[in-house]
Amino acid sequence: MFTFTVARRYLFSNPGQTALLIFGVALGVTAFVFITALIQGLAIRLTDELTANSAHVSLEPAMRIARVLPGEDAETASVAIVSTFQRPQIRPWRSTVALLSTQPSVLAISPQISGSAFVVKGETVAPVAVTAIEPSNLDAISPISPKIVSGDANLGTDGILIGARLAENLGLSAGQPVLLRTDRGIDRLLTIRGIFQTGVQALDERVAYLSIQTARPLFRLPEGVTNIEVKLVDPGEARTTAAFLQAATGLRATAWQDKNAYLEGALVAQAQTGKLIQAFSLISVLIGIASALSLSANRRQGEIGIMRAFGVSRSFIAAVFVLQGLLIGVVGASLGCFSGFVLCFWLATLTKPDGTMALPIAPEEGGYVAVFLLTTFGAVLASVIPARSAARLDPLEAIQQ
Amino acid sequence: MSAVLDARGIGMTFRNGDEMTEVLKDVDLSLEPGELAALLGASGSGKSTLLSIVGLLLKPTTGSIEIAGRRVEALSDAERAVFRNQRLGFIFQFHHLLPDFTATENVAFPAAAPAGGISAAMRSRARDLLARVGLSDRMDFPATRLSGGQKQRVAIARALMNKPELILADEPTGSLDRVAAEQVLDLMREVNLEDKATFLICTHDLNVAARCTRRVTLKDGRVEQVVQG
Repeated sequence: MFTFTVARRYLFSNPGQTALLIFGVALGVTAFVFITALIQGLAIRLTDELTANSAHVSLEPAMRIARVLPGEDAETASVAIVSTFQRPQIRPWRSTVALLSTQPSVLAISPQISGSAFVVKGETVAPVAVTAIEPSNLDAISPISPKIVSGDANLGTDGILIGARLAENLGLSAGQPVLLRTDRGIDRLLTIRGIFQTGVQALDERVAYLSIQTARPLFRLPEGVTNIEVKLVDPGEARTTAAFLQAATGLRATAWQDKNAYLEGALVAQAQTGKLIQAFSLISVLIGIASALSLSANRRQGEIGIMRAFGVSRSFIAAVFVLQGLLIGVVGASLGCFSGFVLCFWLATLTKPDGTMALPIAPEEGGYVAVFLLTTFGAVLASVIPARSAARLDPLEAIQQ
Repeated sequence: MSAVLDARGIGMTFRNGDEMTEVLKDVDLSLEPGELAALLGASGSGKSTLLSIVGLLLKPTTGSIEIAGRRVEALSDAERAVFRNQRLGFIFQFHHLLPDFTATENVAFPAAAPAGGISAAMRSRARDLLARVGLSDRMDFPATRLSGGQKQRVAIARALMNKPELILADEPTGSLDRVAAEQVLDLMREVNLEDKATFLICTHDLNVAARCTRRVTLKDGRVEQVVQG
């Protein structure tokens, strides 16, 4: 293709300027890749941290609502009262667990009794949220065993696990007895089997773990459970799975995204900010290409004029400039993708003293295909204006200049 | 033998705002095959405008033009471009060679651009033409490494590439020193005699005009004088 040869020669005629132009494009693309990988990495880290330590779908008893049904002659009246006559619980929890176990999307199931209680030591009383679970399922939803800093995670029949902050506040240590007073008014002396430290103050100060067998009499729930927590293979499928489970079990199913709506909002806002930055870096790249090619078209007016004089078509001239844009776009975008990946990969290896990543960056999420296509297409688009102006040059005027 | 160029009643008026400037008035010009004609006149006499009209770079306001038996004044822009490429050759005061191409590639360009590449036959013809204009040892030189006279000789070879019926030259020696100008004029005369190529040379230079077989002088947009021989 002769137009390609001419375009290539034009680019190579001023290697310094062409290299600078390609460097500018590559730099813009690198910035795009970096921002994309950083934003995606941050979203992945936040999501992972949240989904790794919490249930993806929570099943709770359906809301029991008392209604007044209208008689045949009576006017319709709508009354709905949340019933407090019966305690909300899931009685047929074993059949629900059995159903969940057949779902390939389900990774782990944890039936629980959740309630409020006080830890009492002498005159000091501290409120705690109690989570009672099957001891074998202790780590199914939120891994507690690895976070035990004193004692062990073996709950037994009279054991309790408390957070480090609570232990510190009450001067408690592993192996000591402690009195637990539940919201049902039942007291029981339990042994602190282990003390955990999650790093989250609210958990380390306000959460305690019991075995489900220990909790039954304490919360007067001889048969049922208060909730069933479910972990999925793919946390992204939580909403779909929740809808399915709600329909299949009649229980209230809540996906983790709906429990943490603030996070989703923050991630969306962050992604939008990132898109703005990406757009600006692309626009600056395209302006650079357009202005460089416009200058080239201006500088080559005489040559273009003589080409037009001896009968070279306008489309040939336009194609030469569009191809220059394409070449700059392809080479610049390729180099930018490569340098962006190398930069992100290197940043991903940097760690803080505690061994965690210094930057939450995901090199594999740099949006390489998107930025390559956008830059290449944009470069072609940016070259259209100089290409049109070159093709429209009046040969006589161009030669006389 | 039919005329290579037959222009009748050529008029050209330029509009500059509300002002109309009549540059050419009812000009007739005819060239027989193998003629070497000079177009003379003072600055502003209209000779460059007439050359541009004959070269299909400008459309006349009035008149008809027939080149190599074809009426051309009403051709579309694209048709004019094709006609220029296939039937006309141009030599300008400033050679305007493509600096990123060799002498051979510059010569082959008028044939290569519409064909989509330089074929072996095109390259061979370009090299023959360069040999003919005395640049056998400069064929693969980039245009930027040639002297002014050599560049103009490459421009002459380029004008001959597509075997045009009519070659139009606008002050072809205007930017050359005396020695280079003489060489270029000798070359044009040689091509004219050997190939029977028809030349229309627009010039101020009486020395150039003296070498031509016919001299057409324009004054105030009209043909003032035609001198044969």
